[in-house]
Amino acid sequence: MTTVRTLALLALGVILTSCEAPLDQAPATDSQLGDQQPATGAGATGQAPPAANAAPNLNGIWQALTSANWDIRPHAAGHSPVPELGALAATPPGIGIVEGGEIPYQPWAAEQQRENFANRVDLDPEAKCYLPGVPRATYIGQPFQILQTADYVMIAYQYAGAVRTIHMNDPGPSPAPSWMGWSVGRWDGDTLVVDVTSQNDETWFDRAGNFHSDALHVVERYTPMGPDHLLYEATIEDPNVFTRPWSISLPLYRRVEANVQLMEFKCVEFAEEKMYGDLRKQE
Amino acid sequence: MHQYRNIFIDALGIAGLAALLAMVPVAGYTQTATADSYEPGRTPDGQPDLQGIWSNAVITPLERPPELADKEFLTEEEAIEYERRRQEETNMDRRPDDADADLRSAYNDFWWDWGENIAATRRTSLVIHPRDGRIPALTEEGQRRSDARAERRRLHPADGPEDRTLSDRCILWVSAGPPMLPTAYNNNFQIVQTADHVLILNEMIHDARIIPLDGRPHLPSDVRQWLGSSRGHWDGDTLVVETRNYTDQTNFRGASENMRLTERFTRVADDVLLYEFTVDDPDAFTESWTVQIPARKTDGLMYEYACHEGNEAMIGILGGARAEEARAAEAAR
Repeated sequence: MTTVRTLALLALGVILTSCEAPLDQAPATDSQLGDQQPATGAGATGQAPPAANAAPNLNGIWQALTSANWDIRPHAAGHSPVPELGALAATPPGIGIVEGGEIPYQPWAAEQQRENFANRVDLDPEAKCYLPGVPRATYIGQPFQILQTADYVMIAYQYAGAVRTIHMNDPGPSPAPSWMGWSVGRWDGDTLVVDVTSQNDETWFDRAGNFHSDALHVVERYTPMGPDHLLYEATIEDPNVFTRPWSISLPLYRRVEANVQLMEFKCVEFAEEKMYGDLRKQE
Repeated sequence: MHQYRNIFIDALGIAGLAALLAMVPVAGYTQTATADSYEPGRTPDGQPDLQGIWSNAVITPLERPPELADKEFLTEEEAIEYERRRQEETNMDRRPDDADADLRSAYNDFWWDWGENIAATRRTSLVIHPRDGRIPALTEEGQRRSDARAERRRLHPADGPEDRTLSDRCILWVSAGPPMLPTAYNNNFQIVQTADHVLILNEMIHDARIIPLDGRPHLPSDVRQWLGSSRGHWDGDTLVVETRNYTDQTNFRGASENMRLTERFTRVADDVLLYEFTVDDPDAFTESWTVQIPARKTDGLMYEYACHEGNEAMIGILGGARAEEARAAEAAR
């Protein structure tokens, strides 16, 4: 990112802890910072652009358009794990979001993933309406909303009402592991870089049983590609499970329809029969 | 979840205290009494800045106790005595001689965070309308509905998860609402403002209400949500949020799915956010009613409260009920 831009951000009092991108890959974006507009969630056109030195405005409702939640790797279409649902729950195909296509599992972990896949109906935390963790929340198939201020970037996800606070002023270390982790953000030029640590080992990457341990370290990068697109990139490190860091990349699309809003997907009630059905009173 | 400074005066700030005490002699609540004496800061978008993490923890009871029937306000001395007594009564570190009573308070005081002070207005109830400080009587229809629910709970306390309370199921929490009411712990909520939305994030149970301010219509009336449909606007320096479209199970204090809720958030001091709500529900209550809570700013952070993910209690409750039935069946044989 340019020195001019960095100086401008410093002048605004934005704390930059580092000017180096953690990913050694320049975002392949057609960044249009000057055209960034305050988002309204309804197209956001015709709004006055912010001051030239301002951080990009990521406010709005965004959604991934990908089958990655079924499998983040390239995959062909497949049978539903629940035969009674027929083609309703068949797996849609996709080219995947993993750079290079392969997840560098350690041998035991590759075996664990296959076991997870075989038992996914029982084991996938999404089936129980559990909080999704990062990065799965991004592409789980439902929209999310960014609310950005100088001190915090809040991301509220429609799925399970999950929410995370990205602290733009480092609050210190996480007090305890959690489902959505501990997020600390900074601006690297036009890119919001988020360091995510302290996630527990209960979440998965997708419905295919791709998984991690509690040593997971995710660095996310949100880069404007235009007024209605963001490039989402994340590097994944977990020395307990993988042989090397790897990364994912996918575009995010602004939801532009009139009056679009996050709606309620409090899915606990949809998971109760699955989780507690065997404890019901038998008549 | 986090520790507060316990001295209310300290948290409130002298300006806030003066502003709130100025309201005491006012017969009913008037907003101008405070709006005149404090000018909130502005967000970059020019809105009154309500942002921060606020706590609704307060030991003033929701409804006025019968022994204070004609007393709308406590004197300063009475307030101090009330706080002292209440702290003594609710101290879970006491060890009663009676073993049963001792077991019933099995949680240590460490777990609880009711707050230690009454509302700075020294009101004797959080309900400020009607004037008797009590939630109005249910209508006949409301009473029938309430009785039917109670009967259902009596006959089927734990046949399945749906028989348990919404908080047992990790679906709704009283402190999250809407409306938000003080309860035993984690009475914290964070307000985040952008140009056209307000986020109210409750620590319990990570409920994030995102309220559009752009004048859009409510969701269609046949789209019902646990938290309802919220729309907001500014009335001077006060954020007004109107909520409807509740489910027929939301059941706030006996309210029906037709409840209309109006919340008002006014920053009356750097450290005090006056939170008021009015419940309108002619299907359930004989008149509308209003609650006022001066929320205090807190310095701590909020943390994730993953209620459902840790809900071992549901397994224990249902499993326990099945075990009791099996034992009863065995005994009857």
